[in-house]
Amino acid sequence: MKTLVKKVFRVRELPVFLALVIVVIITGTANPEFFTLSGFQDVTLGVAVVATLAVAQTLVIVMKHIDLSVGSTIGFSAYLIGDASSQGHGFWYCMGLGLALGLTVGTVNGFMVAYLRLPSLVVTLGTLYIVRGLFNEVAGGNTITEDMVPGPINFMGLNTFFGIPYLFLVAFLLMLVVGFVMRRTRSARDLYAIGSNLLAAELGGIPVARRVFLAFLATGAVSGLAGAVLLARFNTAAANSGNGLELSVVAACVVGGVAIAGGVGTVYGAVIGAILLQAITMALGALGIPQFWQLAVNGTLLIAAISLDRYLSTRVKPTSIMGAK
Amino acid sequence: MKKKYTFGWDQGVSVFLVLTVVVGGFISEYFATIDNISFVIQDVAEIAIIALAMTYLIIAGEIDLSVASILSLTSATVGFLFRNGTSFEVAIVGGLLVGLLCGLLNGYLVTVIGLPSLAVTIGTLALFRGLCYALLGNEPVNELPENWIVLGYENIPGTFLPWSAIPLAILAAIAWIVLHYTRIGRWTFAIGINPEAAKFSGIPVARMKLGLFAMTGLMSGVAGVVYTLRFASASPDGAVGYELSVIAAVLFGGVAIAGGIGTLWGVLAAVLSLGAIRSVLQLIDFSANALLVVSGALLLISVVAPKAIEIYQSRRNSAFVTK
Amino acid sequence: MVANQSPILEMRSARKAFGGVNALSGAELTLFPGEIHALLGENGAGKSTLLKALAGVHKLDSGSITLHGKPFQQGSTRLAREQGIAVIYQEPSLFPDLTLAENVFVGRQLQSGKTVNWKAMEDEANKLFQQLGVKLDSTSTARGLSIADQQIVEIAKALSTQATVIVMDEPTAALSSKEVDRLFQVARNLEAQNCAVVFVSHRLDEVFALCSRITVMRDGATVGSAPTSELNESKVIHLMVGREVSELYPKLEAKIGEVVLKVEGLGLAGQFTEISFEVRAGEIVGLAGLVGSGRSEVVRAIFGVDKFDAGSVTLNGKKLRPGNPSAQMLSGVALVPEDRRQQGLFMSSSINKNIAVTLLKKLSQLFIIRERSEAKLAAQWGERLSLKYETGYDPVDRLSGGNQQKVVLAKWLATEPKLLIVDEPTRGIDVGTKAEVHRLLSKKAQDGVAILIVSSELPEVMGMADRILVMREGRMVGQFDRSAATPEKIIAVATGASSL
Repeated sequence: MKTLVKKVFRVRELPVFLALVIVVIITGTANPEFFTLSGFQDVTLGVAVVATLAVAQTLVIVMKHIDLSVGSTIGFSAYLIGDASSQGHGFWYCMGLGLALGLTVGTVNGFMVAYLRLPSLVVTLGTLYIVRGLFNEVAGGNTITEDMVPGPINFMGLNTFFGIPYLFLVAFLLMLVVGFVMRRTRSARDLYAIGSNLLAAELGGIPVARRVFLAFLATGAVSGLAGAVLLARFNTAAANSGNGLELSVVAACVVGGVAIAGGVGTVYGAVIGAILLQAITMALGALGIPQFWQLAVNGTLLIAAISLDRYLSTRVKPTSIMGAK
Repeated sequence: MKKKYTFGWDQGVSVFLVLTVVVGGFISEYFATIDNISFVIQDVAEIAIIALAMTYLIIAGEIDLSVASILSLTSATVGFLFRNGTSFEVAIVGGLLVGLLCGLLNGYLVTVIGLPSLAVTIGTLALFRGLCYALLGNEPVNELPENWIVLGYENIPGTFLPWSAIPLAILAAIAWIVLHYTRIGRWTFAIGINPEAAKFSGIPVARMKLGLFAMTGLMSGVAGVVYTLRFASASPDGAVGYELSVIAAVLFGGVAIAGGIGTLWGVLAAVLSLGAIRSVLQLIDFSANALLVVSGALLLISVVAPKAIEIYQSRRNSAFVTK
Repeated sequence: MVANQSPILEMRSARKAFGGVNALSGAELTLFPGEIHALLGENGAGKSTLLKALAGVHKLDSGSITLHGKPFQQGSTRLAREQGIAVIYQEPSLFPDLTLAENVFVGRQLQSGKTVNWKAMEDEANKLFQQLGVKLDSTSTARGLSIADQQIVEIAKALSTQATVIVMDEPTAALSSKEVDRLFQVARNLEAQNCAVVFVSHRLDEVFALCSRITVMRDGATVGSAPTSELNESKVIHLMVGREVSELYPKLEAKIGEVVLKVEGLGLAGQFTEISFEVRAGEIVGLAGLVGSGRSEVVRAIFGVDKFDAGSVTLNGKKLRPGNPSAQMLSGVALVPEDRRQQGLFMSSSINKNIAVTLLKKLSQLFIIRERSEAKLAAQWGERLSLKYETGYDPVDRLSGGNQQKVVLAKWLATEPKLLIVDEPTRGIDVGTKAEVHRLLSKKAQDGVAILIVSSELPEVMGMADRILVMREGRMVGQFDRSAATPEKIIAVATGASSL
């Protein structure tokens, strides 16, 4: 029993989960509409895009890396999918196109970070620009409108499964799958080892470069496929789609306990973090506070999350050379 | 004992700038006109001013992603104060003060609390931007005093230079001298090369970093004032994404993201190159998108090229050893 | 029981040089199953190079290593592990964010089918901890674990890979006496399981309490190996020291003046406590003790790189504020730190800039640094210290270790300190440069500078110092006058040897 309690308190995701519960309760009490089915659907639908990307970003952040190119990739992918569909291509062809884009970006990022050992911040900042530029060039002033969105994607964006938006289900399933993989496969465990102590990982014979490459590739692939989620969510895509999304995604991860210093955190935390940020946005509206405060609150929350993390990790007792005599 | 001449990245960027200008002149006859040069300078002024400070920060091994938000918050503060009846001059001072405070907050979180600057400034990026909306709501302040906003679009009388060239030139000169010829500059490099050795050499590392963050905040504030005048408006959503342009310019200018390496001249050349390229692309009716691609590509080149040289040299050296 | 078994491991006439300096020159080591084997020697005797050869970090230039009768594949840490050699360093590098169970099995997590089986891994780790007779929770993370516990985790990892040779590099240096007792128990358990345990330690009382055989190294070679029963402490100390205090350390007579540095009751929680001593002008005081005894921590606190939380530091009658190196520098304290690459130098920066970094204010006129004065200053010091270099604009990483050390010395001597603290001033530099450094320090003392020298090399301390202070486990445990000091006495106090 005691160990169970201890285990519960050790869960990194606990504080952010409690924060979420508190936000929901306060908001719900102040504005009962928040507790209704439509309130629930608003939050879950709103969070789908960021949650999906946050799951992928977790792979990278636990290795002490970062991928800023996801916002550009997802936006471009959304546009490509809609565009291909409007030209009469089938659903799977469109999805293949999104995936191909994601894999390409992932390969470039992964190669430069893993094999050339360049800093991921700079590399992915570069690909952020390049992909965004290509996207804008391809898109021009065009807008993908609702009638151009492939049927299945349109359907997913508008409908629910027993009250749960399909898009959220997609993100949720992805979370469960990636969560399982990250806990239960050796190669994914290596990501944590790399982020926790790179030198020890190299000395211990972990194939660091290959793992880093594959993680970036996976993040790219998910971002590419997630173009469908973005398209479904807004039923439209244009040159500015996905702009700035990378920062929300990183914020969600960090708030959810995926430390920027690497080595810790889970996709569950990242998704809870995304939901918390979304819930606060909604809560501000429900409480009658101008939406304008939303960004400020998100930023404060992010800083609070890393400060708390820092506080908790420095509280660990330093070891003594004098011994206990 | 002579200083050996080495061809550095910053010279490379300078050559690149000259090439851009020459090629630009051939491509479009309008490019080298006085009007266009004035436009280009005006166009890069804010990014250049922030890049001056960012150069120090990255050389010292830190980073600030919140600069565009600080710029915007300064602008919003100016608008807010002015709308609420203060004189425009006081509003500008207030805006600059806010910029300085933003920088101090970043610096405090990094040096005193000990948080990583990347994460901190992603947070303050959102926070400061949020405060812009909190101040102004969704309504930009457009009725700014005419005698001020002429500074935003007119040239200095008798020259082809925009007014914004004045703060830019003064600040660039100061930044250049301080970085390369004074103790503060030496300390900045020392901290970036080896923070521990810096501490052991009696350099006040934490105080220096705090100062650099504060200075970056203030410079972003100055850029905010320039921005406000240029667009004759204070709006909450200005300059979104500028932080990436600034960082791209600084890194392309030869500053190493790991700290300890860089020159101010390289960064200025990089800012101007990007401005020139942008102008050329616009003149030949290339969309602004091509600029994004070019910025990204230059950014990648600026990290890949040194790496490639390093690998090439180590291959050559090892071949030499085995022989 | 040992004699009639065939050895697990034999190392024969091992040689290894780094850039012309011989680290190993004829080292021998024979390990039998079921023994705890002590490897002794002063700092620089070649122990750590030998260990690194066994760990697969270094490859020998010549000589052989045989493991279980077969040649040992050198030069890969992974292969070394797979062949059954595990090296546990003084400060292990675990993965702080992973659980202990995963740390034990990292890279080869136990699986059921294709997925990691956490339950099995945790049970197995607990079993190993139990087998080692320690209580650790395999589900908690390694962050904040004491060094003693980290070592246990490393040993468990070694056991889980079926290691037969387990090397422990100064494992007790940072442990309390209780933790040492526990480690001994673990070592004896390993011995009973027929492993060969190599135990590197400076504490002779521990060696005699624990080990069944002793091998002593000096100057890269093995100078003796015998069962513990045939040796005693004084014999071992004699083998380790082996030479007279040589001419290398020319001590010049200096006039000893007023008290410059006065340290009273200095303490820092967990690091050192109740440290009191004085250093006078013209005096050289040596601070001896084992690595990890708190010597470096004390001088770091005096210089202000670390804070202290008890006591006071007074310089020429003025109390110094804790934790402020720039203020200390201005009041005339200089510290040549122990790790010159990490703490002393800006490796990619030029020689001129490295030397000038402490003097930038003086070299500036109207805030502008006069590069010509800077180059002149560096050239002066280069000449005074007979620095070998091409131009002052070359980066210091082109220089040899000895010349790099001279740059660090120059940078601090240029501040004209009243108190010069040097921490391991001659570590890893060649004999000739060593003598130059010693002569220089001696001359500075003659000029009236108070000098505090921290060194792990006994002959250096004994040759240079007027007085020798000895630390052990964060406390000041002995003080000798130059005339009264012998290596045997100092080692005995520093190691807490029971008797001589």
